Amino acid sequence: MLRFAARPLARRFRSGYRWVDERAGTTDLVHKGLYEAVPDRGAWAYTLGSATLILIVLQFFTGIFLLLTYVPSFSSAWDSLRFLQTSDRFGNWVRGMHLWSAYVLILVIGLHMLRTFLSASYKRPRELNWVSGGMLFFLVLGLAITGAMLPMDNAGYWTTVVVTNIPHYLPFIGDPIRTLWRGGDFVGPITLTRTFAIHIWVLPFLLLALIGAHLYLLRRHGEFGAWVNYSTTTDDPDREIAERIRRAEPPYPTLRIERQYAAPRKTVDFFPNQLFKDTVVSIVLVAIIFVFGFIAGAPLDARADPATLTYVPTPEWFYLPLDQLLVLTPQTYLIAFGVFLLIGLGSLALILLPFYDRSPARRPLSRPEVLVPGLFLAFMVVILAVLGVNRLYGL
Amino acid sequence: MAGAEVLQLTRRQMVQLTGLGAAAIGLMLSIPAIGFLLSPLVQKTRETWVRVGAVPDLTVDQPKPVTVKVPSGEAYDTTPVDRIAYLVRKSDGATLVLTNTCSHMQCDVHFDPTLQQFLCPCHGGLYDVHGNNIGGPPPSPLPQWVHRFEQDSQTGQTILFIKNAYDESI
Amino acid sequence: MLAASLTPVPGNLFGNGLAVAIVATLHVQIATFMTGGSTLAVISEGIAMARNDPRHSQLSHDLIKGIAYLFSFGSAVAIFWVLWILMALWGRFFVDLTRITLYMFVFEAAAFVVEIIVLYTIYANWDRLGTYRRARLGLLVLLAVVLWFQMFLINVVASYMLSPNGGDVNQLSQVLNPTFLPLQLHRTVGNIAWAGAVLAFYAGLRYLLATRRARREVAVGTAPAHSVGAMSAARFANSSAPPARRDSRLPYWDWLGQWGVLWAVGLSLFQIWIGYSYAKEVQLHTFPAWFRMMRGTLSNVFLVQIFLLGMIFILGTLYFWRRMRASGARGTRTQIVCLVIIVLATLLAIQPAWFALSLPDVQAAHLDRPWWDGGLLNPIGDFIPNKVFALVLIMLCGLVAITSYLRAYSRGEVRMGETTRRLQGVLLALGVTVSLMMATMGVIRENSRQPFLIHGELRLQHQQIVTTPPQAPANSVNPGS
Repeated sequence: MLRFAARPLARRFRSGYRWVDERAGTTDLVHKGLYEAVPDRGAWAYTLGSATLILIVLQFFTGIFLLLTYVPSFSSAWDSLRFLQTSDRFGNWVRGMHLWSAYVLILVIGLHMLRTFLSASYKRPRELNWVSGGMLFFLVLGLAITGAMLPMDNAGYWTTVVVTNIPHYLPFIGDPIRTLWRGGDFVGPITLTRTFAIHIWVLPFLLLALIGAHLYLLRRHGEFGAWVNYSTTTDDPDREIAERIRRAEPPYPTLRIERQYAAPRKTVDFFPNQLFKDTVVSIVLVAIIFVFGFIAGAPLDARADPATLTYVPTPEWFYLPLDQLLVLTPQTYLIAFGVFLLIGLGSLALILLPFYDRSPARRPLSRPEVLVPGLFLAFMVVILAVLGVNRLYGL
Repeated sequence: MAGAEVLQLTRRQMVQLTGLGAAAIGLMLSIPAIGFLLSPLVQKTRETWVRVGAVPDLTVDQPKPVTVKVPSGEAYDTTPVDRIAYLVRKSDGATLVLTNTCSHMQCDVHFDPTLQQFLCPCHGGLYDVHGNNIGGPPPSPLPQWVHRFEQDSQTGQTILFIKNAYDESI
Repeated sequence: MLAASLTPVPGNLFGNGLAVAIVATLHVQIATFMTGGSTLAVISEGIAMARNDPRHSQLSHDLIKGIAYLFSFGSAVAIFWVLWILMALWGRFFVDLTRITLYMFVFEAAAFVVEIIVLYTIYANWDRLGTYRRARLGLLVLLAVVLWFQMFLINVVASYMLSPNGGDVNQLSQVLNPTFLPLQLHRTVGNIAWAGAVLAFYAGLRYLLATRRARREVAVGTAPAHSVGAMSAARFANSSAPPARRDSRLPYWDWLGQWGVLWAVGLSLFQIWIGYSYAKEVQLHTFPAWFRMMRGTLSNVFLVQIFLLGMIFILGTLYFWRRMRASGARGTRTQIVCLVIIVLATLLAIQPAWFALSLPDVQAAHLDRPWWDGGLLNPIGDFIPNKVFALVLIMLCGLVAITSYLRAYSRGEVRMGETTRRLQGVLLALGVTVSLMMATMGVIRENSRQPFLIHGELRLQHQQIVTTPPQAPANSVNPGS
């Protein structure tokens, strides 16, 4: 009975699809998006980028629902979130998903950076990809910290106090920045409004713009091949390189040692192979967030108490290394040295990495000038995090 | 009939004109926006005096926390907020009215009786009983509330008044 | 009437303490090398399997042999320490300590048995397991895990003695006492660094011994002068006289020296932040101990410690510089700049902050003014901010020096076998420096806790006090009366 009805249905669907395709060009779009050569090696590692994108989309999505209840007012913020938590079982679930998605996002973005670092995917001509990616990383961290300031519970209030105080140590412009952000000397209603605006509009706008740039650059350069292999022989180099990339055969790599990385022995199409892996990873991550959002939810401390004598302001786990560094940076002008020189220069060094390491070498062990400082930084972050956990959670 | 042809503009001049136009639009948009953004820098926080009450009996060098209701003085906010003032009597008779705001990152400082020092839980900053920074990251002593004492002529008690401002910038 | 009285403990507190100190230092030097060395053995064996590198497989075998020999001696020392010194001379304390941290000692003993089985199995069957390399690697990993587990347990006991948190009924809270994690991190990093330093010392020694014959031949005149230092064949291409007979293992000793220095200096970079954090925790949880270490009489010993720490980096950078120069590598200028900065930073770091035995002495004499104002204080030697600044500078320069050296090495500009005899002295000095640091740390640790054995709970005097048991009441039926 159903089979009988299906044939006219399918015909109608096909003609409907053709109507849309003629006007919107969907088939071309889909082909462009899905049929791209991707190296087969390391395919699971390459899913981290798309996982980051999915998680950011999830943040937008859950964030919109939180917007429907949250009030960015000094007096009502905590009440609105309390209402969200207690009124129905789904309120806390959405808020929990927003929180856990943020945690998982920071983890995945860190892993994504690690992967691109190890595979030297920042080498020419992909330097701008790394630069935009580095800026995205700091934007995500900024979103995380401004988001943590919004609930105006004890944690939110004291995080606001501390975070808005950090710029104070910048010479000359530090105090004005602090006054601007707080809307005065103390944390008050203006602080919350500004933080809210930064969190839901300023940073997301910059985030979307940079994501667009990041993805465009990725598709432009493709998933393999680097400068060392871009020497051409004809007088139409773009066409020649495009041909080579399409066929992925010699003389694409120039050095035998680079062959392993430059021209993959086997390429697959993005659809269905890579897309399958991307989907699996995304499903697993969203499932984790789904479950944790439900069982753990998002905590809401007691209402903000500026007169507390017992509360220990504790930063989020991803800020623990920085916080432990603050413990260990002694007083006087060296706070400016410790925080701004070290962190500021460090962040700049991270973003400008492709301009420091311009050698054609791509294997990690042939790049000790980035591997050794990178390993040092990684171990330092882990050690500081462990020490921070020990100190703040009273182990 | 394009305006550029009528005016005999070259392409270069057109580009320059567009640039000027864009700059003009940008300026007109930015002046009010930036002016608004930077306004807190020139606005004065509304500082008000708050009557706290009679100064309680104090032992020398033993800080005593007192809750005070202080308006934040920010923008349109008039609700008083609970804050802490630590009263410390020194051996020379003077009384310090310390805030409990750490001079490092403005976390909440409390007096630890076992250490006999003020301790900031955030980064382990230590201050002695008079609020001098003696350990950890804090770069300057605990600020005091701007305060004054008045003698109540009827009861003979010392009344404490504080202002919603720190006596030194942290 | 039961009127038995306890036999007084032999010796006095000082003598008994000295006995513990000597045996403990020996035990610590051996045990830490074993832990770090087993980790390096796992790493070397893994690299050997992945890259088929004969030097790494040679090293892992040598390490296991060394660990087995040292363990045989060291376990005898440890047992002597526990059974004789601790029980006979410190019995009261040892019983009370074991009562509190009972499970730690129980697991420690069990791990000891497992360690014996695993270590001697690997040692005796090394060649037989050559065809089952994965199994051998698995056993090596097991050995390392057991050793680290033993260190974990003893760290619980040691940190509990410094910062007890009343956990004598709850084992988990014993483990989670405030100074446990910093101590664990500190010893983890330190053990591997120490193993690296020992390897460097050993490589230097073997190189010197192996070139002894060549040196003698040069002295006697049967070999050209340059044939002792750099042994690369290229240098003798035009020489008429045959070079001294050389040990073909010289490139191996050269490589091993470099490998050890990289671990010793590389991991010591982390000790700076870890050590500072550890001191911070002590300040927050055991203030009298911190005060004695940083402001009291032990602060002088800490000056020695900071000097030795600076020496590690000075020796390391010196080694990198001369080694790169001996092979004609590029980038020696970076090393020289790093070395100069590290030397200057060390000079700043070893400044005493007061010219007296301790800060309370200075304050009691009312001389707490800078020395240029007639007092005894030296603000140049202030820990905050000057010494911290110097330490951070040393850390960053050490990082740059290692990176620069590894860059030259990966470019193939540092060739194995081209080291000089003189450079081995640097390796020997590095081993001695790290050993001295560990011994000094023991002195500081034990004395900072005085007069407590368990801070706030058990005093030193508790050990020596002799009590008679209470007398039974007169009207009870007592068979002895």
